[in-house]
Amino acid sequence: MRLRWLPALCLSLILPGLAHAQSPGKAATQVYPVTPGSGPHDVAPAPDGKVWYTAQRQGALGILDPATGAVRQVPLGPDSAPHGVIQGPDAAAWITDGGQNAIVRYDPRTDQVKVWKLPEETGYVNLNTATFDGAGLYWFTGQNGFYGRLDPKTGDMKVWKAPRGRGAYGITTAPDGSVYYVSLAGSHLARIDRDTGQATVIEPLTPKQGARRVWPDSRGDLWISEWNSGQLSRHSPASGVWKSWRLPGAHPQSYAVYVDDNDMVWVTDFGANATLSFEPRTEAWASYPGTAADANVRQILGRPGEVWLPESGTDKLVVIRTGAGPS
Amino acid sequence: MLASAPAWAEGDAGRGERVFQQCFSCHSVEPGEAGLQGPNLRGIAGSPIAARPDFEYSDALLEFARHEGTWDDALLDRYIADPAAVVPGTRMHYVGLKDAGRRADVIAYLKGARQLRE
Repeated sequence: MRLRWLPALCLSLILPGLAHAQSPGKAATQVYPVTPGSGPHDVAPAPDGKVWYTAQRQGALGILDPATGAVRQVPLGPDSAPHGVIQGPDAAAWITDGGQNAIVRYDPRTDQVKVWKLPEETGYVNLNTATFDGAGLYWFTGQNGFYGRLDPKTGDMKVWKAPRGRGAYGITTAPDGSVYYVSLAGSHLARIDRDTGQATVIEPLTPKQGARRVWPDSRGDLWISEWNSGQLSRHSPASGVWKSWRLPGAHPQSYAVYVDDNDMVWVTDFGANATLSFEPRTEAWASYPGTAADANVRQILGRPGEVWLPESGTDKLVVIRTGAGPS
Repeated sequence: MLASAPAWAEGDAGRGERVFQQCFSCHSVEPGEAGLQGPNLRGIAGSPIAARPDFEYSDALLEFARHEGTWDDALLDRYIADPAAVVPGTRMHYVGLKDAGRRADVIAYLKGARQLRE
């Protein structure tokens, strides 16, 4: 008798998002054109108020000064095609460069670029995204089915094959310093043991969901964008519980996810050509349309009061000004 | 006076298998393997464009197929060099392979993959 409840329970965990319509986003936005043809893929606020972005199609790190709108590009090396950029604890830009099969560091104080090639025996991994853990180590994913770790102090690099092969995509650090990544082709979440390097698969609620990216909230719960299922999902490492919400559009494809300083969840939907905010307490969605067709926002990052969107399809950066941030 | 052969006519399939690692995260050449972000490329050389029944192609590529028809070597070469320029609106998010020799190698690999693995 109890088993009959199970399908209904699973549905209840997936369907609540359908009941909530989306409303137009009310926060102010500002649009910054960047270099034509640059294809800004990922974005990261810089320590001096500027904003970094990967100019993937031009092999450069882009630097935007939001105060003036001025942009400039720093070439990263021959064959460069940078994918991800984050700010490190050293206030430098750390870049996963798929074209060079290398990790690249840009120091804004000296304008110097340093390149760490992946080990020759590893081969091409299609570098994707990176994060710093709680101990200052740099962890990265390679979409061909790898993840790795670089010690910035010594240059020591280790690369491991991901369980279940190709697909390792977004990676993040939880508030307790733990490192998690998601697999797009493998449709799972994985936790990396930072001592042994071993990755443990955590099965999602929805099979074949196609997880793109992952981001923690302030409580340590993990939010995951699911490309294939069109859902936004939450996993609590503490309880093991998953919950999923289908995005409100007709044919949603969830790409990027980010949780801001007020625990508002932001997710991009290629199907609707929009960025959505999601308030977990009320389950309310609000929509911020792309500035043009096929805006293709592939990543989101911010700082208190600002959520930054790189429109890879329009060569623009958009900032959503959410307020002053936490007091 | 003889015209020189196009670069894609002189590719090396062995080197091309290594170049294919740039495609590997989204494409397979293994028989029957589907469900990745891109279509299975087994037998793509010389085949009709956007014709695999197990993949949902973009509107842009379907439109491209209507006037181009078939993936011949020259067209594959152009597409791999700069997908977004050849098929504006393509969902294939790849910046392109500038080196003509490496394009020739990967085309040779794609043409040979069927024989190599069967």
